[in-house]
Amino acid sequence: MAGTIVADTLTHSTAGSVTTDYVVNGSAKAWGRYSHNDAAFDDSFNFSSAVDQGTGDARLTFSSAMVNDDFSCTATASNNSARICVFNEPSTTTVDIEAFGTTFANTDLAQGVTINGDLA
Amino acid sequence: MQTPDFKGTHLFDRLCWAKENLEAHQSDYRVVYEDSIDECAKILVPDPNWMACAMQGGILPPVWVYHELAKDEAQPDFKKHTRGYLLHETEPVEAMTEEQAIEYLIMKDVPQHIWKSWNDGNKPKMVICRKEQLPSTREWRNAWKIADDINATDLAA
Repeated sequence: MAGTIVADTLTHSTAGSVTTDYVVNGSAKAWGRYSHNDAAFDDSFNFSSAVDQGTGDARLTFSSAMVNDDFSCTATASNNSARICVFNEPSTTTVDIEAFGTTFANTDLAQGVTINGDLA
Repeated sequence: MQTPDFKGTHLFDRLCWAKENLEAHQSDYRVVYEDSIDECAKILVPDPNWMACAMQGGILPPVWVYHELAKDEAQPDFKKHTRGYLLHETEPVEAMTEEQAIEYLIMKDVPQHIWKSWNDGNKPKMVICRKEQLPSTREWRNAWKIADDINATDLAA
């Protein structure tokens, strides 16, 4: 492919070197901002769909699967009434995200999600 | 824009190209399905960037690839995928219409036991509709169900 650089190591003139494994393995493999209110992505990468499973509860499906279900998911919510954001029931192709409000009930909010781990 | 020849290119790299070069497509289609009588209806919403890939062609693998990976994952001794190469080395599918993309997405992201028998039983357990056909507010969201009086003839009309 045009524009490809093949390298195992990146070296700075004074600050030292880092292998490109760090870049590949450390990069997010999927991210998205999902609005439970609209039941839709505002923007995303490496997701094929979101399933609205009820108030404050959604299942996100990857386009490019993860190698196993031990990946890391970081979830946040863009509303100061949010108390807890959780992810659960991960598989190599899906992750469920939920947002809870001040009464610890599922609440419709905008959620940010980032997935780190290894791709299949 | 012409899709580069992506055969053998890692799917993640193809998605990176698409994110940079394609305009996201926000589909009005929604897929409503019922997975359990004890749960509310679930609503599948296509991802706009994924829709762009599907309609562009030459990016996504055939849907059977995902089914093969799902079979592997369903094995009791599954630890990790060893056939991920299917995602990357299988010839990508050609450009789809929006409707074909939704059909592909149903087969990819809706549980197989739903779409394979969507019309078995007293009423359909899966319906493709437009966004505006859903309730306009999310009031009573956790009690939403597919209407009892809907039938396959209505859906075909």
